[in-house]
Amino acid sequence: MNIHRAFAITKRIFRGLRHDRRTVALMFLAPIVAMCVFGLAFSGDVKDVNVVVVNLDDAPVSASGVIISNFDKEVLKVAYVASVEEGVRRVEDGKAYAVIIFPEHFTESLLMKRQNPSYEGDTTIQVREDRSNVNVANAITKSISETILKTAQEAGQDLPMKVDAEDAIYGKGAKFMDFFVPGIMAFVVFMLTTLLTLISFVGERTSGNLERLQSTPLRESELVVGYAIAFSIIGMLQTVVLLVIGTVAFDIMIVGNVVLAFAIIALLAVVSLSLGILLSSLAKREAQAIQFFPLIVLPTFLLAGIFWPVEAIPQWLRPLSYLIPPSYAVDATRSVMLRGWGIGEIWVDIVALCGFAAAFLTVAILSLKRGRR
Amino acid sequence: MQSFAVEMKGLSKKFGSFTALNNLNLNIEKGTVHGLLGPNGAGKTTAIKILCGLLKPSGGEGYVLGKKVPDRSVLPEIGYMPQETALYLDLTVHGNMALYGDLFGLSRSRIAERERELLDFVALQKWKDSLVSNLSGGMKHRVSLACSMIHEPKLLFLDEPTVGVDPELRAAFWEYFDLLKKKGVTIVLTTHYMDEAQHCDRIALLRQGQLLAEGTPVDVVKSAGATNLEEAFLMLAKREDAKS
Repeated sequence: MNIHRAFAITKRIFRGLRHDRRTVALMFLAPIVAMCVFGLAFSGDVKDVNVVVVNLDDAPVSASGVIISNFDKEVLKVAYVASVEEGVRRVEDGKAYAVIIFPEHFTESLLMKRQNPSYEGDTTIQVREDRSNVNVANAITKSISETILKTAQEAGQDLPMKVDAEDAIYGKGAKFMDFFVPGIMAFVVFMLTTLLTLISFVGERTSGNLERLQSTPLRESELVVGYAIAFSIIGMLQTVVLLVIGTVAFDIMIVGNVVLAFAIIALLAVVSLSLGILLSSLAKREAQAIQFFPLIVLPTFLLAGIFWPVEAIPQWLRPLSYLIPPSYAVDATRSVMLRGWGIGEIWVDIVALCGFAAAFLTVAILSLKRGRR
Repeated sequence: MQSFAVEMKGLSKKFGSFTALNNLNLNIEKGTVHGLLGPNGAGKTTAIKILCGLLKPSGGEGYVLGKKVPDRSVLPEIGYMPQETALYLDLTVHGNMALYGDLFGLSRSRIAERERELLDFVALQKWKDSLVSNLSGGMKHRVSLACSMIHEPKLLFLDEPTVGVDPELRAAFWEYFDLLKKKGVTIVLTTHYMDEAQHCDRIALLRQGQLLAEGTPVDVVKSAGATNLEEAFLMLAKREDAKS
């Protein structure tokens, strides 16, 4: 291993990028766009849902009125109609997602029930939803339940039990963005590094450059290490950009050691580029290489724990998520940034990533050597 | 002293069921320009790739500068110009040359020096800082040739060095090859321009992976009873077909 020859390759990559503004733009704009689009769109909260209320309650000072005024106005946009039929028609016409019906004598029944639990009056708030959009419907049900709980508390009708989740051990006050940024960092670096090395190595092969390189004293291992140095640096620069924007625009939480997060991402970049190189040996042209894109992007997107935890994946699918290198990087960067963990706690992830790196690098180098049949 | 730069002893190469090279025996003397001639698919490129260590022979042996190939220790001594352009299009002419200078361990000042000499030779001095992607096909070809010589190799393998090069420059190339030869450099090149082969010290006619004839261009023409190389090739090919 001659490090000068490896550096010559690194230098070549950076020199090439200097004249390839489009690729540089992709490297740095794609992460930013991904973070903003996903981060803002995926924040997970359903808002501004049109619902109609039919209030048949006739009390002058009504409990139904208090409940309605307690609705979370961010989630529910309330309109009133006079009859159940009209309310149902609104939903049927797609103008609202639910009709919320307060029965006749609601307030009275409520008061009677308080004194005599066996009183038979109707105190059921009927919610007839358009469940064709499950997310929206669930948000409506949840919002109404919360409102009722809140209203009961205000009326001194507190439950004898209570849950308090305010005093978190890790990630106190964390928002979706705080959870999301470590994930998107790993995702973007993994995806772009794999795809760029894949395309670039198919190019090395088809252009004849690889053969010319192999006719010089350059060893395959030096070639791969040269690439690894370049792409680790690029991966870390992408991380810097994401963290700066995350901090400035989204005020994300970083409690741990940022340098350790960088190191994890650099390690992931090495894993990714070796994967790119070995996939390149399976493609004869750039057009064939493009067919690998969904194969790389989709499993990572769905199974690596970027948007939702591994626990949200069906049990039989979970082993797959442990076969995807970014899963470990997502877990490790998240633990470092949000829990403030150090190497002592995330060493399992590091070992897994090192294992992937070693295995992929070896196969990548062998795949290059196999060209000399 | 070893007088052959290249020896091929029964060299064969099969790709699956296709025989690219069939029992080739050929010696190339040091300090000569040796042409490998023949139509497409004759095995010229395969032979060169084996000698450069890019392919492993399926049978027989190849020796380069006294070492049995593939052998990494001869790589610093040889220069290889592939048939494809094999340049980085997103680098400048200088960027490409510097890469190969670095890979052969040349110092920065030595690279600059060699670059000046070689760009003078291929007449691309003023294009030094241009991106290769902006150059014409013939110019790329010249850059490619220059790249393969940056480290002053003792033995040069040039796969079709004169394709797409205009006649004036082609003449300059041959002059330069003569100059290198005088310095003791051995040049092995392929071409399918029969007229160009007159410049070679010796030529080998290849067809379907087999050697048809070998010798000085004049001898090859004479022994075939022909008036020029092209005719000689056609006559020899016909005779070979009649035999089998």
